[in-house]
Amino acid sequence: MEIRLDRAAFMAELTPMQGIVERKSTIPVLSHILLRCVGDRLQLSATDLDVSLTSSVTGEVTREGGIAVQARKFSEIIRALVGDEVLLALEDEKTLRIAAGRSRFKIRGLLPEDFPSLPQVKGDEPLEIPFEGLQRMISKVIFAVSTEESRFQLSGALLHIKEGKIEMVATDGRRLALVENPVDGLPDASEGVLVPRKALQELQRFEGDGAIQFRRGEHHLSFRLGQRELIGRILDGTFPDYDRVIARDNDKRVSLDRKLLIDAIQRVALLTGDRARAIRLRFAPDEVVLSAANPDLGEAVEKLACEYDGPEIEIGMNPDYLVQFLVAAETAKVRLELKDENTQCVGFPIDGADERYLCVVMPMRI
Amino acid sequence: MARIHLLPDDLISQIAAGEVVERPASVVKELLENALDAGAGQIRVDLTGGGKRSIRVADDGLGMDRDDALLAFDRHATSKIGTFEELERVATLGFRGEALASIAAVARVELLTADEPGEGHRVRVEGGRIRRAEPAARDRGTTVEVASLFFNVPARRKFLKTARTELRRSVEVVQGYALARPDIAFTLSHEGRALLEAPAAGEGGAGMAERVRQIFGASLVDRLESFGVEDGVGRRVAGLVGDPSTARPRRLFVFVNGRLLRDRAILATYYRAVRDEWRNEEFPSLFLFLDLPPEEIDVNVHPQKAEVRFRSPAILNEVSEALRAGLARSLGEVAAPLSEPWRRPSAPAAWEAGDGGWRRPPEGGSFGGTSVAEGLPGGRLAEIHLHPGRPATVPLSGRDGQVRPFRILGQYKGTLVLLEGPDGLYLIDQHVAHERILYERFRRDLERERPASQRLLEPQLLELARDEALRLGELAGALEERGFSLTRLSGDSLGLTAVPAALGTDRARDLLLELARDDDEAAGSGVEGLDRRLLEALSASLACRSAVKMHDVLSIGEMEHLVSELFRAEQPYACPHGRPVVLTMEDAELERRFGRR
Ligand SMILES: Nc1ncnc2c1ncn2[C@@H]1O[C@H](COP(=O)(O)OP(=O)(O)OP(=O)(O)O)[C@@H](O)[C@H]1O
Ligand SMILES: [Mg+2]
Repeated sequence: MEIRLDRAAFMAELTPMQGIVERKSTIPVLSHILLRCVGDRLQLSATDLDVSLTSSVTGEVTREGGIAVQARKFSEIIRALVGDEVLLALEDEKTLRIAAGRSRFKIRGLLPEDFPSLPQVKGDEPLEIPFEGLQRMISKVIFAVSTEESRFQLSGALLHIKEGKIEMVATDGRRLALVENPVDGLPDASEGVLVPRKALQELQRFEGDGAIQFRRGEHHLSFRLGQRELIGRILDGTFPDYDRVIARDNDKRVSLDRKLLIDAIQRVALLTGDRARAIRLRFAPDEVVLSAANPDLGEAVEKLACEYDGPEIEIGMNPDYLVQFLVAAETAKVRLELKDENTQCVGFPIDGADERYLCVVMPMRI
Repeated sequence: MARIHLLPDDLISQIAAGEVVERPASVVKELLENALDAGAGQIRVDLTGGGKRSIRVADDGLGMDRDDALLAFDRHATSKIGTFEELERVATLGFRGEALASIAAVARVELLTADEPGEGHRVRVEGGRIRRAEPAARDRGTTVEVASLFFNVPARRKFLKTARTELRRSVEVVQGYALARPDIAFTLSHEGRALLEAPAAGEGGAGMAERVRQIFGASLVDRLESFGVEDGVGRRVAGLVGDPSTARPRRLFVFVNGRLLRDRAILATYYRAVRDEWRNEEFPSLFLFLDLPPEEIDVNVHPQKAEVRFRSPAILNEVSEALRAGLARSLGEVAAPLSEPWRRPSAPAAWEAGDGGWRRPPEGGSFGGTSVAEGLPGGRLAEIHLHPGRPATVPLSGRDGQVRPFRILGQYKGTLVLLEGPDGLYLIDQHVAHERILYERFRRDLERERPASQRLLEPQLLELARDEALRLGELAGALEERGFSLTRLSGDSLGLTAVPAALGTDRARDLLLELARDDDEAAGSGVEGLDRRLLEALSASLACRSAVKMHDVLSIGEMEHLVSELFRAEQPYACPHGRPVVLTMEDAELERRFGRR
């Protein structure tokens, strides 16, 4: 292979590859990216076998061919070079020559055949989903995706395309976030798919506007935006029956200023221990008292105005769970719906941009 | 059934004497054996109060006529043997004519039996005396009800465990005989709640598999491998053995000629086979059936008939061989040829050799020295003797307020902290020491405040065997205090509705499953086992933020801190698992070794 490229354009496509490449992989080839010259383009691919990213950049191709190079070193070199243009050429089948300005590098690589072949997601016409909207929805649920490795069916978010709208749900078994928004022209897909967390994270790093082209294969999902395509393996397993889990008869409703609440929680939470983070919230008419106590550290109490006219109720919760929801909610005010100290708290933004957004937080006994 | 008769005196004197009835489970065992000897096709066991209040066993066997029903309660009255020759080749489960008499001596017993449908008899015995005998209707068969066990022996009654624990033991006995006889229908209930329902499952391997499924669920059946050898003239070793995931201590069922045993020789053979074959200390579920001509075993050796003697010990080699083949297969491997594993000196044995000086502390257990051993030159263990850190002589600043100087000499291979004390050299296992410190800190925290408990969106399902569910049930209070919440779903399934907030949900669930299985003797059982596991899980889930590990290089300051905290601990000398934390070599000993004395 031999190609002359615009260095800045190349860098722009090279950088997102780093997110996919396994840093500590036991399979050496997975710390590599595949470069391949085809037609008038250089194609780039990276994979960790669950999530793969491909992209391409145009250039002056003199010879086709390819090589897999160590991702981190290679992009460090490209970034460090000076000059607008960079030349990549195969010295032999396992050596890549890089030239820019007065710099010359020869780096060792692996045969392209040694790079895993990436899954192809073919099938029907892709669905068009506005990219910005999808990113916003991801940011509203991704914090609730489980980080427990063994809970693989919870290590992603459920993406459910319904007629004319999209729903996304994530839960780690202790809280649950659900967002739903209208998207014109979507057909009804009978069941949702589980999108792995890493794919969600990479989608959030995508840049650009317009619509994502979404395809669902048998085992993989494809998200394509411009020249970039992200392919993620569909997570197996049954996602909880979330509709059944969400309480509908929480009769105590409290409205609060979102920013003031975030600040108050974060201050009070300074006095929670590191073993288990828990704060208490006591709701009384027009006032909520937040408190935390830790036998080794001391106590913290803070009062905050709220709109509430029900009976007094106290509930313990993980402050991080609340704050993550509040940050994602975006609106000036939020509503918390409660029943008793053993029942879930359901948070809603008030007058948000989303058609439906809620976050369930399970209480703690402190 | 042959008529009951009294055994002649000289034969009586030959019969292994001892305590027949120890607890409700022993009553259940004797009554089940009688029902099986009577040719029952269906056996029903009903208990109340864990069997302490009442035990009822009903069968549809041969039954007894009026004379036999009265005679059955006499000592040494049996229909099963009559001569020495018969004692030498017992083919029934009973043979001593002792069981009913022993039971009736310490309980209120009612016998209802009929050898022809309708024409039955009721006999009531209390504290060994017949109180009443009257005709009573019953289908053919026998019902024995034993109430108020040890009502007249308060000292014995006091020794009984909680109803749940006693119940668990009875459940295990019924499980055992249900496994021995898949062709017979068994039901077991406790206070009206069905604990086991096993319709006749048929004969042979299929019957056996079905019976295991009835008792322990399909998931276990899938993880069992069958093994067996036969010599064609009446000797057979056969059974099922699980893969490592099935390891549980109370799932080792051994049957010899259909008799449920806890035979030490056979179990030892099994343990050795597992250690050899798997190099493992976890013993998978085992269902072992040994069939031999009756004259080749002596059943008359144990008062509760829990052991037998093999007239030809070579049979144990066959057992061993068969087990090893089964174990190898359950790992998907082929058996290695039988070597002589017991000749190979094990590490602990080597440690005890030699004389004087360092000696391994007694509380160490067979693997107690691992951490120390890693820090010492391996080949020379036989010559080095370890000495327990004797509490009385430790001169460091302790809880008693005494402060005496000690000096950190340094760290040995990133594993041991070496200390100079006024009277000798001290070795501290840093990892174990820190474990001890964390453990005590955790215990203190627990006493001070309940750990925060996080409710779960949906209950996590815990699928348990009956005895496992009972074991967790016994711990319900302690679990609640530590942040777990359980609800009963269906049958023996429990739902986990809240977990200690600092634990991952899966970690919490695994912890409960381990506790329910109760198979890790090092981790212990009951509340203590719970705390140890919780501590471990918590320190692991806190990413061992503070935990000092083996091969962590420590600064002098860190070592000082560790040591002074250790000597403030309530029990600085052993880790929660009983492994030693401190070893000392006293000056006098050093001097002797260097020939200065
Ligand atoms: N369920 C039963 N059905 C019919 N006969 C029974 C039953 N239980 C006991 N018997 C009769 O009562 C006799 C005495 O029973 P017991 O259990 O005391 O002694 P055993 O079974 O002969 O010997 P062992 O003491 O070893 O159990 C038995 O030999 C048997 O004839
Ligand atoms: Mg008997």
